[in-house]
Amino acid sequence: MTRPPGRALAAVALAVLLAGCGGGPGEQTAAKDRPATTAPSAPAAEPARPLERSVPVGLRIPAIGVDTPVLRLGLAADGTVEVPPVTDDDRAGWYRHSPTPGQVGPSVLLGHVTVGTHGDGVFRHLARLHRGDRIETRLENGTAAGFTVTAVRTVRKAEFPTDDVYGNVDRPELRLVTCGGPLTGGEYRDNVIVFARLATTGPAAS
Amino acid sequence: MRRTILSAVALACTAVLAGTAPAFADGPSPVPSKTPAQSAPSPVPSEAPSKAATPSPSKPGPADEAAATPAPAPADRQVSAVPEGAPDTGVAARPADGSDEGLIGAGAGAVLVAGGAVLLVVRRRRAATGA
Repeated sequence: MTRPPGRALAAVALAVLLAGCGGGPGEQTAAKDRPATTAPSAPAAEPARPLERSVPVGLRIPAIGVDTPVLRLGLAADGTVEVPPVTDDDRAGWYRHSPTPGQVGPSVLLGHVTVGTHGDGVFRHLARLHRGDRIETRLENGTAAGFTVTAVRTVRKAEFPTDDVYGNVDRPELRLVTCGGPLTGGEYRDNVIVFARLATTGPAAS
Repeated sequence: MRRTILSAVALACTAVLAGTAPAFADGPSPVPSKTPAQSAPSPVPSEAPSKAATPSPSKPGPADEAAATPAPAPADRQVSAVPEGAPDTGVAARPADGSDEGLIGAGAGAVLVAGGAVLLVVRRRRAATGA
């Protein structure tokens, strides 16, 4: 009479073990899937609706007197971002591997702070911008995307915040990048980065 | 004795069934009871029947994962090519200015030396003529 209960217990233990093995993989895949599906959902406070893709052709920043045409920039041979040519009439440039202004994502525009003997660059006074200042971009399709400055950061070039500038975001944003800080050995030590979010959209004022 | 063995076997069977049921539910939805046979043929028809025989709950899982993973991957990056390093968006006027300053300094020095030489010549001539 002592053996049967032992066998029964062994059978129960085996059953529990099998049940545990059977349920395992299903739970694992569910756990794996969860982060992928929940990650994109974030804050839903969006003041303006995202725009369709249209290349920027103009940039206006009233607070620092900027009104410039916008060039297209790509990647240089060494993997760094191209910058506008050093000329007398300095212009801003849009990094063409980033979203266009108004699309969801970080649209990146670059401009010089100084252009050698030509004097001041188009983004000479970018560091003077403050939170809440307006930035307007004119797009090729006749639309305008208005942005509001959310942050102005001066960072050392050696610690350039690549993720903050080029990383994914869940709404249309703008990045304006130039050089700044003290000159050491004929080069600027820092980068000035303006972060802005889409505030308004509508037809361009021409 | 028999009763206990039978009851233990019955318990084991129900436990195994209970354990595999959630795996089917998580796996392919179309036909829960015949999943191993029916879900496997779609990706790899030849290998599925032989492999589906024993590890029925685990096989459909990876097949589904493989089908599910490519979907979120392409829409990943908003910036398609992330540049390296920091942008060089400032060309200082210093190097050009520096060379100009050097030229100006050298020019001024030459003028001073020439002026001094002229003054010396004039003085000597005056001294020679006794004026």
